[in-house]
Amino acid sequence: MTSGLLITFFITAIVLVAAGILAAWLLAPSSFNKQKSQPYECGIPTKGTSWMQFNVGYYLFALLFLIFDVETVFLFPWAVVMKTIGMTAFVEILIFFVIIVLGLAYAWKKQALKWQ
Amino acid sequence: MMSITFHQAVFYFFSAIIVIFSILTVTSKRILRAATFLLFVLLGTAAFYFILNYAFMGALQITLYAGGIVVLIIFSILLTSHVGERFEPIGWGKMIASALVSLIGAGFTLYVLLNADFIPTQAPLPDASVKNIGTALLSYERNGFVLPFEVVSLLLLAAIVGAIVIARKEPHDTENPNNE
Repeated sequence: MTSGLLITFFITAIVLVAAGILAAWLLAPSSFNKQKSQPYECGIPTKGTSWMQFNVGYYLFALLFLIFDVETVFLFPWAVVMKTIGMTAFVEILIFFVIIVLGLAYAWKKQALKWQ
Repeated sequence: MMSITFHQAVFYFFSAIIVIFSILTVTSKRILRAATFLLFVLLGTAAFYFILNYAFMGALQITLYAGGIVVLIIFSILLTSHVGERFEPIGWGKMIASALVSLIGAGFTLYVLLNADFIPTQAPLPDASVKNIGTALLSYERNGFVLPFEVVSLLLLAAIVGAIVIARKEPHDTENPNNE
């Protein structure tokens, strides 16, 4: 039965990993040092938290990333059927792209992609 | 124990993940951690789509919600100056009131769900494979969606222009914009 096989597979996987971690935990010599919890073992001591306020400039890039992310989602189904549909699909995606690239050109023209 | 099929086990596993991380999201005292827990909730939801054989929706959920929206939420949090602050503890009155409201909501939902007559349909399931979606999306014949597909690009164009206009501040020195 497939499901029984899959359950056996998952249990074996979990047991193997857990056994490895447990063995390492039992066998390894343990010592505590404050330095160990630092992000870098050497170098300049860290100052403050890593959760700091970001420059607002990043937000525009996040927004643009999200828009092109949405565009990528529409590329998935197109890529799957591109070969079977052929030229029509190619022309359709070309129109799609030309309109999107207008947005990219606008961003470029407005120097929104430039770091400031 | 043996009566539970593998399918059900997977379903309960991801349900548990969603429930646990949803609770952690709303109870976390640090807002950035709440956003990270939300990511796991969205990934668990994506797992449900994959369980239902709706791979396109699952991929969409991961790329857009887990990959895009959470990034945007985390960015919005990091842009504020109160990133590292902990939330103030909530008073008992508020806690009891919100617990009451959510319990009433959950009870009402359960009541409706348990009393609903779900009639199993005999019609064949719609084919939601990526291939079928792609064919429908690019078809310009009857029941094709090529016009909405192209309109989506216009919508995205509007979103790009809007994002730039709103989020970017104009350089004050218009004659020399590089001087900003």
